[in-house]
Amino acid sequence: MKRTGRHLLKADGLGLRFGGLQVLDELSLTVPEGRIVGLIGPNGAGKTSCFNCLTGIYRPQRGRVSFDGRDVSRLPTHRRARLGMTRTWQNLGVIDSLTVTENVMLAQHQRAGYGALAGILGMAGTWHRERELRRDAAEILDYFGLADVAGERVAELPYGTRKTCDMAMALASDPKLLLLDEPASGLSPEEALGLADTLRELRDRLRLTILMIEHHVPLVAEVCDYVYVLNFGRLLTEGGPEEIQRHPDVIAAYLGDGHATA
Amino acid sequence: MTTATLVLTRVRIRGRLGLVLRVVLVLAALALVAYPLFYGGDVWAQRISRAAIYAVIGLSINTLTGHAGQISLGHQAFVGIGAFSAAFMASQLAAPLGFGLAAAALAGTVTALLVGMVALRVTGLYLTLVTLAFGLTAETTIFNWREFTGGGAGAFAPRPALVETDFAYAVLCLGVLALVLYVDWRLVSTKTGRALAAVRNNEDIAATLGVNVTGYKLGAFCFSGLVAGLAGGLFAYWNQVVQALDFEFQVALVWVLMTVVGGLRSRLGVIIASSFFALLPLTLPNFLSGLPWQPPFLNEAVYHVLPPFIVVVMLLLVLRFFPGGIGQLLAPVTRRGGPKGAKR
Repeated sequence: MKRTGRHLLKADGLGLRFGGLQVLDELSLTVPEGRIVGLIGPNGAGKTSCFNCLTGIYRPQRGRVSFDGRDVSRLPTHRRARLGMTRTWQNLGVIDSLTVTENVMLAQHQRAGYGALAGILGMAGTWHRERELRRDAAEILDYFGLADVAGERVAELPYGTRKTCDMAMALASDPKLLLLDEPASGLSPEEALGLADTLRELRDRLRLTILMIEHHVPLVAEVCDYVYVLNFGRLLTEGGPEEIQRHPDVIAAYLGDGHATA
Repeated sequence: MTTATLVLTRVRIRGRLGLVLRVVLVLAALALVAYPLFYGGDVWAQRISRAAIYAVIGLSINTLTGHAGQISLGHQAFVGIGAFSAAFMASQLAAPLGFGLAAAALAGTVTALLVGMVALRVTGLYLTLVTLAFGLTAETTIFNWREFTGGGAGAFAPRPALVETDFAYAVLCLGVLALVLYVDWRLVSTKTGRALAAVRNNEDIAATLGVNVTGYKLGAFCFSGLVAGLAGGLFAYWNQVVQALDFEFQVALVWVLMTVVGGLRSRLGVIIASSFFALLPLTLPNFLSGLPWQPPFLNEAVYHVLPPFIVVVMLLLVLRFFPGGIGQLLAPVTRRGGPKGAKR
């Protein structure tokens, strides 16, 4: 893969330690604009910890993170989110007590365009903006086929619908970079391949950049332009998906005793 | 848990019938207040003021615990500091009522801001302990500060001529309650409510959606303190004298419990439970001792310790049978959306 494109996200020498446990060690990776990059590795390799460092939920002891040409290492999570860094969660980032519409409107938090105080005082502009946000949310829900359940509380919906709502929220937040934590978990193999189409569409039509953690090897092989392999908090190897699947270290560490499943 | 009440909450009443029911409910509530207010004389006007003040306190706790998911067992300190500030303004500076109430709200906000900045570094049980410790400390320090609180005799807060009658004062209290209700409604209907829902469910998810978690938690603390201080100010002018023993730890506990019994995030539920708990100690002993038949060994002294006992029993009933509180029982009528009761 060409690596000359502009780097949207760059992590440089991340080191994260919890007490005596070295979770991440000298981890560097770059995500070029407009690409889908995979982050794979066995359980406990530090993939989700890596996401937590990139989004600012964990503060790594060493290393820097830069996003969209600016050093965000010291920015708190919500400030990074406002720069256009959106993530999804392994066990879904939906808020159970809110309805589907409200969840999507929550994802639009940063572009509500009015202050919290103006909102609770019922200032004139906020009513209008709320209506606009609701309309935008309805469009997004239409696109994702969620219009029928728009008024239902998320807690009362089946897993697949909740997952779709999660994805709708990710897009509603108007991201530049999507960090997807196991988007195919809980999906059937067919649904996972359907997800591949969705991800490619996001990249090509909405010009989104995606970094995703994924265990589902066919999906990674299908959509990723580039793959990083993590093991014991270190970078094992990196390369195109074809290359990675043939790499002996990867097969040993990740796929077990030499049976590549893909 | 298949009791009749639970089955009832699963019923969804839709469309025009639902709207009519809601209107009827609100009108019934208004009539319930208006009748004793106009025909009950001063006694009932005072009681309605007290109920409204409790409801404002309940909504204050609802903001913090219901919306933001934080707990405070030191609310008597916020209310008490508000009450003493209002009394100080009224008696020492002879300031008009508006200034007294503003000072009460400001004092509540500033106190909550200071406590919040310390308390929000910890979560869960530790937050509860910090607020509890703060409340108890405030009782023994600030409330015993003679120049500010007037010592054991208390601080006086005479009402100005405009609201001197109990009727006028009740109208003022109801007006403040209406204002707080409006703000609570707007809070839930705008991005603030959604952000707080995210904060109370999962702070990490909230932060990755761009919500300033610390800011919102501190904001909720401050707003809760503001409303609590305001309620304290109303209490000061209602009682016209403020004493430290009005704000002992036990009342803070009752306030938290009444909010839970009313149902977190249910405005109507909180108002009903707050009014009930405000009036119970005033009405129950008289009512029981006025009954023609008195059971043996019971007398008026016993009736006076009944209300806290009733509070606890109600809490147990609520936790066991309808964790959404009174608000859950009202859900079929008040809720617009889904079919199920008030669950998190």
